[in-house]
Order: sequence, then C-alpha cells, then structure tokens
Amino acid sequence: MGRMKFLCDIDRCIDCSGCVVACKEGNHIPVGVNRRRVITIGQGKPGEKSISVACMHCSDAPCIAVCPVDCIYQREDGIVLHSKDACIGCGYCFMACPFGAPQFPRGQVFGARGAMDKCTFCAGGPEETFSTKEQTLYGQNRIAEGKVPLCAAMCATKSLLAGDADEVADVYRERNFKRGSGSNAWGWNKAYEKK
Amino acid sequence: MKKVILAGCILFPAMAGLAIAESQGQFLTGVGPVPLTAMYQQFNALFTGDWQEYGQLFTSLQGGLFPRLFLLVITVVPLAFFLHYVAIGPRSFPHDGRMIYCYNFFVRLVHWFAAISFSLLVLTGLLIIFAKLVGGGSIGLLGRNVHILSAIVFAISAVFMFLVWLKDMLPALYDLKWMIIMGGYLSKEIKPVPAGKFNAGQKMWFWLATVGGIVMSVTGYFLYTLQGNIDTIRLYAIIHNFLGAAMVAMFLVHVYMSIFAIKGALNSMFNGYKAEAELKILHSKFKY
Repeated sequence: MGRMKFLCDIDRCIDCSGCVVACKEGNHIPVGVNRRRVITIGQGKPGEKSISVACMHCSDAPCIAVCPVDCIYQREDGIVLHSKDACIGCGYCFMACPFGAPQFPRGQVFGARGAMDKCTFCAGGPEETFSTKEQTLYGQNRIAEGKVPLCAAMCATKSLLAGDADEVADVYRERNFKRGSGSNAWGWNKAYEKK
Repeated sequence: MKKVILAGCILFPAMAGLAIAESQGQFLTGVGPVPLTAMYQQFNALFTGDWQEYGQLFTSLQGGLFPRLFLLVITVVPLAFFLHYVAIGPRSFPHDGRMIYCYNFFVRLVHWFAAISFSLLVLTGLLIIFAKLVGGGSIGLLGRNVHILSAIVFAISAVFMFLVWLKDMLPALYDLKWMIIMGGYLSKEIKPVPAGKFNAGQKMWFWLATVGGIVMSVTGYFLYTLQGNIDTIRLYAIIHNFLGAAMVAMFLVHVYMSIFAIKGALNSMFNGYKAEAELKILHSKFKY
C-alpha cells in the first residue's frame, strides 16, 4: 500500500475556496471548525499566491506524540485519524501541530471545548466503516469507496492533489516540467529574465 | 561643444536622480517575480509560526518529560514522607493546655475556599495528564471543566489569601535558620524551632500558591481559550506544566504536614485555635 499525501500547487491555486466549501458541506462540519483553510499572500499585488492547507498527515506526527489519551493514530497508508470518543479536548495537539490543523467546536457552556475535529483525508474514523456513527462523528469515508478526498475532487484548477505520494509527485513533476521549472531555480530570475 | 555640455548638465542630474530612485529598496527585494522559497517562507510565517523554536520544544517536552515529571512528583514525594513517618514519626502536642486563637473566621473561610478548589485543581490536573489510565473521553472532558471552574474559585481566593496573610508571610532572617535545620523535622528531638506565625516552609508555599497561582491562572486562561499567538500559547503550556509540577509537590508537602506530620494540626482549620504547647516549639518567635 502506498503513502497518502496532500499537495497544493501554489502556481495553480486561485483562492476560490471550493475545497473549504466542499469539505464543510460534504462532511457536515459544525460552524467555526475549519478542517481546511485557504490563505493568500500578497493579495491584490502582482505575484499574489494562495495555498490550501488541512491536516498534512505527517510522518512522525507531533500530535500523536503529545496526545495524553493516545487517541490519535496513523494508518498504514499514512492517514492520521483520531477517536472522538477518547478525546478530552485538552488542545495539546493544536499546540504541537505546525499547520494549525486540529480544530475545536465551541459554543457550549462557558465556551467549553468539545472533542477535537480535524481533516480525516475523507477516511472516516476508528468506527465501523460506512456506519452511521462514523458518518456523524467524522464525515464521509471516501477512501473506502475508492475516491479521492472531497477537497481534491472539487478543486477546479486541480491545484490540490491528494492520493498516493508517488502518483502525486509524478503529476507535480510533469507540471513543473511543462511550466519550465528553470524559472524557479536560484538566480535565474535575476540573471536571465528577458527585458 | 557648448550645447553638449549644456545637455550633459541637464541630463546627468536627471539620470543620476533616476538611478537613485530606481535603486531604492531594490537591494533586498530583488528584481523579477518573487522566488518560490520566499513565498514558502511567507506561508510558513502564516501557518506554522516559529515551530522549530517553540513547537518542537513543546512537542518533545509534552511527549516525554512532563508526564514523567508528574509521575516522579506523585510517587517520590509521598514515598519520602512515608519513610519520614516510619523513621522519624509524627509530632504530637497536648491540646488540653492553653489554646491560642490564631485564625479568625474570614481567614479560615478564605483558606477553605482555596483548599477545596486547589485540591480539585490538583486532582483534575493529574487526571488530564494521566487521562489514558481512565480511558479519556467524557471523564476527561468533565475533569477539564472542573479544572476550569475550580481555577476561577482558586484565583479569587488566592487574591484574598495574598492580602490577609501578606504581613505575616514577609521573609525574616530566622527563616534561613529554619531552612538549614529543615524545620527540625529531620530529628526526633523536640526543641524550639525559629519561626514566626508562619515558618519558612509555609512562607514558600504561600508565595508559590499566590504569585504562582496568578501565573497559573493567566497561562491557564490562554490554554483554555487558545486565543492569541500560537508560540505564546506553547510557551504558556510549558510554564503551566513546570510550575504545576512544583505546586503539586508543595501541595503534597502541605497536606502531609497538616494531616499526618503534626497531629491535630487540622483542628485549627475548623475552630482557628492552636495549642500553646505547639506554638512554643514550632513557632517559637510568634508573639501572640
């Protein structure tokens, strides 16, 4: 089995937020929880770039290391999942995560945090596959259906790639080759740009 | 020839000015489109912050040191006291002699509020750290909510405690002597120990509980809301854990002293009276 990865091609992302809407709508995410976000730099200026980021399903994930109830685990295909039944909402995973992926639903008494919610790579959770409990707690299990995650499937410019690491890398390499990857090499902009 | 010089006189300053204007701010930004690495750096600043500095530190501490540190505190400290109880044994003073009224009703009430809320804070704090032993889930969530509610009660009583006891808790020279002989607890011999109304150990506990308690409240507030800069929250989590371990250790000392080490010391929490026989030995410099 391969290793599942996300890749956002920032030369293609146009900040349409289709991935965010698809994820929220398709997985019935509560208000205030953003499993996926799009961030733009240099907005309105030449060279504006956007990137879409969710849980990156890291190797040696920091969240797994800090969880006091060991409710976060990594599948063989690299997807990082967690059990909402065991989660105590302590927030350590949020502090450890380099990408701000773990989210906490609010709005209960005193704004108390509930169990953590994060991107599941549309692979459900520890519950029985396709069960109602899995659907309500974690959203769709599209991986078990043989589909890519909702966000990547929705992406209009196909900048967000999800799937087996080797295939994703192949697609990205071919794109860069066609675009002329030399333009990104160090010094080329300065030395060889046509006036 | 004159025309060339004239033209030069006009053109040269104009071109020099243009060159200076063009070079403004170009040393750092460079020409052409922003390179990918620079863009990634900007995204990093927005997403991951200074993860290498604080995130890495927090992850390694939380994943290894903190649970072990707390395990060490809650096993070694009680074990040391158990050995003390067996080897040296508790102190016992006659309570049928003259009794001195030390703590008025208000002070006792403040202490009770602080005592109950702090005990809950210690229990639920340890519950969060060792949540996997109870399986986590709803018990852990309940523990966290109790932790937060007790923190509010404790923070308020800590302020009152600070105000009512500040005068008696100021350090004195004889506190050093008390610390050198460890309050006389390491020998079976009963002779007067240099201490005012409160001994050096109680003073340390007072400053840790009130000033440390305020630090715990502020850092805890940010850990609860998760609002603000992520690196600050990581730093606060580290402070909260280290200070928490120190406070749990001192809490265990305080509980051992009041319940086991000095027989009948707990009574003063209810009626405010302490035996004169006890004060003469343990608080020899106290003028009542």
